[in-house]
Amino acid sequence: MSSPRPPQIVAFGGGGFSQEAGNPLLDDYVLSLTGVQRPKVCFLPTASGDADHYITRFYRAFSGCALPSHVSLFREERGETRGFRERLLDQDLIYVGGGSVQSLLGTWRAHGVDEILAEAWERGVVLCGLSAGSLCWFADVVSAFNGPPRRVAGLGLLPYSNAVHYDTNAERRTSYHRLMSEGMLDGYAAADGAALHFVGRDLERVVASRRAARAYRVTWSRGQVVETELETRYLGAAEPSTAAVAA
Amino acid sequence: MGGGGFTMEPENPALDHYLLTLLPKREPRLLFLPTASGDPVEQTHRFHAAYDGKGVTTTVLSLFRLHEQPVPLAELVLAQDLIYVGGGSMRNMLAIWREHQLDDLLREAWSRGTVLAGLSAGAMCWFAGGITKSGGAPAPVAGLGLLPASLSVHRDGEPDRLPVYRAAVRDGLLPPGWAADDGAGLLFEGHELTQVVTSRAGAGAARVEADGSEHELEALELPKVRDGALRTIPADIAEYRALRRARG
Repeated sequence: MSSPRPPQIVAFGGGGFSQEAGNPLLDDYVLSLTGVQRPKVCFLPTASGDADHYITRFYRAFSGCALPSHVSLFREERGETRGFRERLLDQDLIYVGGGSVQSLLGTWRAHGVDEILAEAWERGVVLCGLSAGSLCWFADVVSAFNGPPRRVAGLGLLPYSNAVHYDTNAERRTSYHRLMSEGMLDGYAAADGAALHFVGRDLERVVASRRAARAYRVTWSRGQVVETELETRYLGAAEPSTAAVAA
Repeated sequence: MGGGGFTMEPENPALDHYLLTLLPKREPRLLFLPTASGDPVEQTHRFHAAYDGKGVTTTVLSLFRLHEQPVPLAELVLAQDLIYVGGGSMRNMLAIWREHQLDDLLREAWSRGTVLAGLSAGAMCWFAGGITKSGGAPAPVAGLGLLPASLSVHRDGEPDRLPVYRAAVRDGLLPPGWAADDGAGLLFEGHELTQVVTSRAGAGAARVEADGSEHELEALELPKVRDGALRTIPADIAEYRALRRARG
């Protein structure tokens, strides 16, 4: 048994195996937080409707370095959800895929997965995810699904707002700022390739799988949005080494 | 539909064809909701294929994939002549609809005259309740309640539902209602059951009462249709389209 872990969440603005094929830096980072040689990693593809191709890609990415499994909330009749509470609480890492955050939250609440994840978090199971799998952990998030961007209440383990894909989607940024002016909680925004690592409810550090990826603290102060770039640690080699180039 | 239609019996489009006969307008707009099974791509393809070239406009609403140009849900849903709901997990579907406030929109569409249809979870959802296997074993579940009765599906294909349904109606967990076979379709106008149709010989449905009594309903077996006969484009519409194309 490894030493007890604190509650941890790593929220990717985008990236990991689902978006950065061939760049495992963010995935390797979350695996390293488990402190386990061959961690148990459970994938929750709910936000994609449990898309088969997504589940396959997860196993492809994690079979070599971890003990992967998944929970499908759309395939209950095949018995894939039996005992999922015990299975989720027994993990070292729970990895939440992208898709629709609203459909994700609705499905989770219907099955009590929201409460199980809160319990897993408190017990030190590392939680991570990208896109919808990032938004879900926060209290107040921007969803741009089927209509104008609006606020959606997430699980609230992290009492902040969150916006994802922050560099590639200018409209999302504008919406986030507008919602801030309408009373959205102060929070964090992350670009594709940037990840916010929280220990408990505090931001521990920002890591990135790409040199240029950034994350921001976004607050509402004296009638305007204040966006502060956060110090980011690039997870790759500090300088491209000649050996890597030759390879 | 207790089961059937393009997702279950694509080789037999009788029920899918029947739905079109309920739509008075030319070039009706059809919306497919595959929410209950997580919006799998193959169901989307099958829906478009089932109604391709039949003089209808087909749209699929995915609640999992972001759309390039998001249309407000209300605008999309309230513009349809027929809304067709696929099967899968009733529990997931209803929870997701609530999250997107689609339940209210569907109720409004129905009250405005949009025909609502579906199979399995997509059939039971319109009732006060039904029997779901979303949790593995069959169990009663609440629906949207547009129809103040209950429905149990796949009477022939999944016989383990029926005893649970009978018990739920007898014990008052569900109001009285109907148990339908795969291939059986029940038409309600307002709250009234006005017709039972089937896509295959032998399929049917029964009324199930709280006192345990049951009686089999009279059902009309739909004519077999070749896919090409589903619906042809009226000549004047074909001409109008040709004209529009010619003008660019």
